[in-house]
Parts: sequence; C-alpha cells; structure tokens
Amino acid sequence: MPDGSAKPWLATGVRAVNPTTWEMTIRPGIKFHNGEELTAETVKWNFDRVIDPAKPLRISNSWAALSKVEVVNPTTLRFTFRNPFPLFQTRLTGFFILPQKYVTENGNKYLQEPVGTGPYKFVRWVRDQQFELEANPNYWNGAPKIKRVIFRPIPEASSRVAELISGGVDIITNLVPEAVSAVRASNVAEVRTVPSIRNIFVILNTQAKPGSPLANPKVRLALNYAVDKRAIVKNVLGGFGQPTGCALNPYIFGYDPRACQPYEYNPERAKQLLAEAGYPGGFSMTLGSPNGRYLNDRQVAEAIVGQLAQIGVKVELRVQEWSTYVGQILERKIPTDAVLLGWGNNEFDADNSLYSLFYGGTVRGGPRQVAFSYVRSVPLDNALLQAQRTIDPEQRKKLYLDALKVLRAEAPWLFLYQQEDLYGVSKRIDWKPRPDERLLVADMAIK
Amino acid sequence: MLAYLARRLILVLVVVWGAATLAFFLLFFSGDPVNLLLPLDASPEVRAQFRRANGFDRPVAEQYLHYLSRVVQGDLGVSLRNQTPALRLVLERMPASMLLAAAALLFAVVFGVLAGVLAAVRKGTASEFIVLFLALLGQSMPVFWLGLMLILVFGLELRWLPISGYGTWQHLVLPTLAVGTFSMAAIARLTRGGVLRELRSDHVRTARAKGLSERVVIYKHALRNAAIPVVTVVGLQLGNLLSGAVITETIFAWPGVGRLVLTAVTQKDFPVVQAAVIVFAVLLAVINLAVDLLYSLLDPRVRYH
Repeated sequence: MPDGSAKPWLATGVRAVNPTTWEMTIRPGIKFHNGEELTAETVKWNFDRVIDPAKPLRISNSWAALSKVEVVNPTTLRFTFRNPFPLFQTRLTGFFILPQKYVTENGNKYLQEPVGTGPYKFVRWVRDQQFELEANPNYWNGAPKIKRVIFRPIPEASSRVAELISGGVDIITNLVPEAVSAVRASNVAEVRTVPSIRNIFVILNTQAKPGSPLANPKVRLALNYAVDKRAIVKNVLGGFGQPTGCALNPYIFGYDPRACQPYEYNPERAKQLLAEAGYPGGFSMTLGSPNGRYLNDRQVAEAIVGQLAQIGVKVELRVQEWSTYVGQILERKIPTDAVLLGWGNNEFDADNSLYSLFYGGTVRGGPRQVAFSYVRSVPLDNALLQAQRTIDPEQRKKLYLDALKVLRAEAPWLFLYQQEDLYGVSKRIDWKPRPDERLLVADMAIK
Repeated sequence: MLAYLARRLILVLVVVWGAATLAFFLLFFSGDPVNLLLPLDASPEVRAQFRRANGFDRPVAEQYLHYLSRVVQGDLGVSLRNQTPALRLVLERMPASMLLAAAALLFAVVFGVLAGVLAAVRKGTASEFIVLFLALLGQSMPVFWLGLMLILVFGLELRWLPISGYGTWQHLVLPTLAVGTFSMAAIARLTRGGVLRELRSDHVRTARAKGLSERVVIYKHALRNAAIPVVTVVGLQLGNLLSGAVITETIFAWPGVGRLVLTAVTQKDFPVVQAAVIVFAVLLAVINLAVDLLYSLLDPRVRYH
C-alpha cells in the first residue's frame, strides 16, 4: 500500500506457526495471462529458484534466512526459516510470482514477452520506443478502468515536458524543478508530488586515513550543524524535499520523529565543536558526487561545499559519472573522504536501511557486506541484529530506537533530506503518485 | 584499380580491428559492469558468481584474445542487460538511424547545393548575403539548442508536428532539420566557393563563348567541378550524421543506434557498445572508400593505382 503497509494480494494470509515457521494461504482460482493456473506448487517452485545455492539470483540475498518451502495442500504452503524472520511479510511485497510452465518451457523468452497474473497483459515492446499493455478483463481484483497503456521512454527532460503540455502523453516522471512553472502555466497538466521513500545523505569515511578529522564524532556533528538543509531544499530543489536527521523517513517502520529530527542549522555551534575537537581553523577534505543520478545532485554537493567553507572546512568537490562512481563505492575504493549518495528503501522497514547500511560498519561490511557506514559500535550491531530476529513489532520498534540513538550521537553521515518525486500529470488523469516510484495504472482513471 | 581496391579493403580490416581493440580496452579500464547490473546490496558471492559467468574474473590478455576470436567468428556477444545478441540490438536500430541520416543528408545536399549556387550566381546581391548569414547561423547553432527550439516552435506553439517518437513521416521532420542544418550550412558555403571559382575558370568562359545557356553552363560545367570538394564533405558528414545523432536521438526520443549506445555506455553493457563500434567502423570505412571511388567518376583526372 502507498503508506507502506501490506495487504493480502496473491497470498490471502500469512501467519507465524512459531518464530521460524510461517504458513501462507494463496488466493484460489488465479490464472496467469496465458491460462496457466497459480497453485501452491507454482509458489514453491518460485521460492526454490530463489534459494537455490547453485544459481544465486538478484534477490537471493533477501531470502538467505529461508531454508525450505513445502506444499501442505493446493492452497497452503509452509515456510521454514533458519532464524526468526519478522521481515517475511515485508519481503513478500517485493516477490513476484512467475508462471512455472511458461518459464521452464520458454526460458529467456520470458524477458521479452512476460506473462503475469496482474491487471494488465503484455502486448508489445519495441525497445526504446514503446511498451504496450492492455487491460486483463479476467483480473481477479476486477478489470482495470483504463483499457490500454503505452509507456514511452523520452530521455530528455525538456522534450518530456513539451510532450505533456502538448497532450502527447498523460504522465511524465522525473519532472525537473526548473520545468514546474511551465507545467503549471499550461492549463492542460499539473504538478503532483509525493515525498519519496528515498533519502539523500553524505557518507563520511571515518577510516580512510589514520588521524582523519572525520574520525572524531565532534567533527561529524559540526558538519551536520554547518549545513543548512532547509536552504538547500528551498534553493536547489525548488522546495521539493524534507530535511532529515536520520537514515529513515516517516514511511519506514522504525522511524522515530524525535530521533530523526533534522540537526538545526547552527554554524556557531559547529565552529565551537570544531574548536573542541582540535580544529579551530577548520581542515580540508574531498567530497564525491554523481551528476544526474539524483535530483540536482551536483548542485546540492556544490551548496554543501559553500556552506562548509563558512566554518573553515575546505572541501574539494569531485564529480563523477554514475557508473564509475557507484562501482568505486561498492568495491570500497572510494577516492574521496565523503560521498553523496541516496538510498530508496523499497521494503518500508528500518532493516533495509539500518541493517544494510550500518551493521558491522567496518570497511569490510557485515553479513550483507554493503556497509556504507564506517561506524563501529557493538550496541548498534546488537540492536540491529536482534531487531532482525524479533517477531513482536513493538519490541522491534524499541530496538530500532536504540539504534537511532547511537547513530544520532555518532553522526556517521551528514544527513540531508528526503527527496520528493515530481510528476507532470494531465488534468484528465485521476491519480495520486506513490512514494515508492511505482506507476500502477490499475489505480488510475480518466476523468 | 583491383589492386587498389584490395589494398583499401585490407585497410578497412585494420581500421575495424583498431576500433574493436580501442573499444575493448576503453571499456575494460572503466571498471566491470557487475556493480551496475546487480542491486546495491547484492552479496559478494552473487557478484563473484556473476563475474565468473561473464568471464570478467580472467586476465585482461585472455579476455581480449577471447573477445577477438569471437569477433572474427562474427559473434559480437550477448547484451548483459537484455540477454539478446548485441549485433541484433544494433542492427535492429540501424534502420531508424539510417533513415534519419539519409533524410538529413538529402535535406542538407539539396538545400545546401541550391543555396550555394544561388549565392554564387547572385554574388553581391541580397540573396548572397541572406544565404551566407543563414549558413553562418546554421553552423553556429548547437544541435541541442536547435532541437529544443524546433520542438518549442513547431511542436508546442504551432502544433504542426509531433514532438518526439517514431513511426510516421511527420515524426521525421524535426529531427531531420535538427541533424541536417549544420551539414546543410557547410555544404552551402562550400558549394558557393566552388561555383564562384569555376565561374571564373577558362572552361566556363569557353562554354559561355559557345553560346550555351546560363543554366547549362552553371549546372553542367561549373557545378560538376565544384562538386568534388562537396562530395568529400558529404562523405565526412554522413559519418557525422550517423554517429553524431546521439543528442538528436535523445531529444526526440528517436530509437536509433546513438541512443542505444548512450544507454549501453552508462550501463556498461560492454557487448552492445563493442558491437556498435564495430558496425560503425565497418560502415565508415566503406563510406570513405565509396567517396574515393566516386571521385574518379566525377573527375576523370583522378585515377587509382
């Protein structure tokens, strides 16, 4: 659901038999677009693929805790986990069921001509030209209102706006703030926005070199006080963003408004903290930024450079093209003392942000080995690990609050803002954008 | 002539080998594509497995030799993104790119030559001044800016033509103007210069003295010789038009090779970039050869040994 909660869909229910065993019932009578039936066997086959150690898939990591799946009866399955797994329901929302027979018989053809159970059926895909869908009249949740959908990739931002204003298309994504006034003035379309699930931040490399000023929490706090998040959002993002003070945002389970209060803009306090840390005259550091990956990312980085200069911190900015940039980050060969990055939590659960990004925060990383943070904290690791194995939601919330408090004190990142997604939408379309960047046409109607 | 052709064809092979090698090493040293293809939180095991499956874990020399041996066999690899043969992806896009390049070239040659002749014949009049002014403008406008202006004026204000996409002849008009204008301006200036020179030459004076009509003098005698440098430029421009249409294809969402390559580069889809480079190298080498051969048809003095 848009608010981050889950509701029954292909699975009508999941319940914990005990902390490591879950039972799932599936909706009877579901058919794929090619007529193939969705049975408990189909579901088992899908999960077996994901947990097959011989052929790891993109999402295999997310299901590492799953040890086996059994069919109890035609509509019921039993899932056994290696440890208590509170994220089962959350992860199910991102699990898509493939038609077993079609995939085993046709192999990679599936990538060109997908078959699903959803409200729209695949019609045609001409690469980089258009992607066509038509309504599935037999959809179990009722036939969708819009009969035919065409997705067109239009890479250039100004061309997208021109198409929208001239009525060539009904919805455009990634509207740039500079084009907002043009869309508003058009009378045909309007700007619709939604705070995104994505947070933008600067990771501070506390371990890059021995004796780095960034190893001192006071310095990191000083940086957080020295950057005027509100001014950046207002001037660089056209007002489309919300300043944040943690790695979560209100959509995410585990978010706490007090622990996530943005650090106030207070350059005096920042200077004082720097002096206390032994850098009264400031210091020099380097900052990396992508160009064009996130909304006005390079300009945001430039603004940070300017603001940090005011407390005496001289920042040298190095802008890189995204593919090189992300490669260096993932290989942990970051050439700068800090990097600007965004994280879109598609599970709406603190685990996906905090465990993935902070657990075992050494350069080597925790079990999922992402470790963008360079915080080493035993209480933090304990809280995150325990939260991952606790079924009771209240208990989990408390554990995440503990983790957020550690992060608040350590300030391992320079926290910036929660991005807002901008859409240009024709006035005839009845639709509200979602925080997870999905365009679900079944939720739309033409007025 | 045959020996010459054989030598030139060998040269084509060398050029293609050079381009393929360059493409390989440039991409290789830009880092491997595994990190872009897998989600940010994929485990090291998944990454390692993926690297192995695609051969990225082997030494450079081995990867290079393997790549060359495949290319020689006509196998340009499979797209990492789409799991589709890379050559097929490139060839699929060829018609759209060729169509745009051909339309732009036709536009550039027809209007460029007409404008150039007009400016030469009407030397010193307002017509010459207008042609020269427009030519200068056409050569100084960035393609990107011109494309957006065309969209604003003809797509948004006047609503005469579709803004982006592919399919009908109307979709072709604006991208053609955007891509072709620079070449047209270049051709117009060259043609004017060539025709002016020829009009002062002996054989044109002779032709005039014979009492031939002015039209015949200009089009048959003056233009024919003036055409030689123009043909060279057209050949060069064709390469530009084909490969340089990236920006235009992006602005107008035109499904050509330029856009395919741009996407492939940002995704580090090695096989697709390499396939495109090889296809273009072959194409450009052949175009250059064709231009050289065309000289001998235009100018009987040019002979090849």
